[in-house]
Amino acid sequence: MAAAALRPAILRRIRLSPSPPLALAAAASQPHALARWLARPMSSHDAHLTREEVVDRVLDVLKSHPKVDPSKVTPEAHFEKDLGLDSLDTVEVVMAIEEEFKLEIPDKEADKIDSLPLAIEYVANHPMAG
Amino acid sequence: MAFTMRAVKVPPNSASLEEARHRVFDFFKQACRSIPTVMEIYNLDDVVTPSQLRSTIAKEIRKNQNITNPKVIDMLLFKGMEELNNIVEHAKQRHHVIGQYVIGQEGLVQELGSKDQGSSDFLKKFYSSNYF
Repeated sequence: MAAAALRPAILRRIRLSPSPPLALAAAASQPHALARWLARPMSSHDAHLTREEVVDRVLDVLKSHPKVDPSKVTPEAHFEKDLGLDSLDTVEVVMAIEEEFKLEIPDKEADKIDSLPLAIEYVANHPMAG
Repeated sequence: MAFTMRAVKVPPNSASLEEARHRVFDFFKQACRSIPTVMEIYNLDDVVTPSQLRSTIAKEIRKNQNITNPKVIDMLLFKGMEELNNIVEHAKQRHHVIGQYVIGQEGLVQELGSKDQGSSDFLKKFYSSNYF
């Protein structure tokens, strides 16, 4: 019972690489076709954000903040130490990132985000970031 | 008033400054998350951007940054919450929101510039604001 429930969950995460022999095998046998059907994208905008895009957009958000000197913004910068932001500014920046990527970051996660690498990491790993 | 009675519950006092501080951030987040709704209700898209409104909210909070008494912070938070609820429930009109948060307190009194020359210090303060 539990295995039956687990199976679609596992199959959804498996991506088969479309090399020719595998594709032939997939065409020949039913289970692979099922796996591909289960692994299909569940929404129309399946193009997940690339890491470069996330980095660019997060940097743009930071640069457009009125208190931030755009020349100091690097992908490794820390909000308070390098950019001179205080705790309220940090929350403001996190909110701006939420708006930019149409997310809602829960409080526990948002409290941890205090630097650009952490922000980029969070957004890049978020499945709903758009 | 009825809006507020329904929407705002008085939470227990913050036990420490740290808790009060945390509540301020929570309130700020809540206010930021309601910005899109507010922009839609009051048709603010052509006068202001969400990031400007965010900065204005932060500025309003920063006005009181020197306060260290948790009870006072709780009281101010209550007032902030009340204001936010009034705005989100459309208990205000467009020009209230624009005057207070888009143009700002200074913007509305700037035109008075040269008229009060030569008047007393008291009058100058009185013209610029009746809160002093």
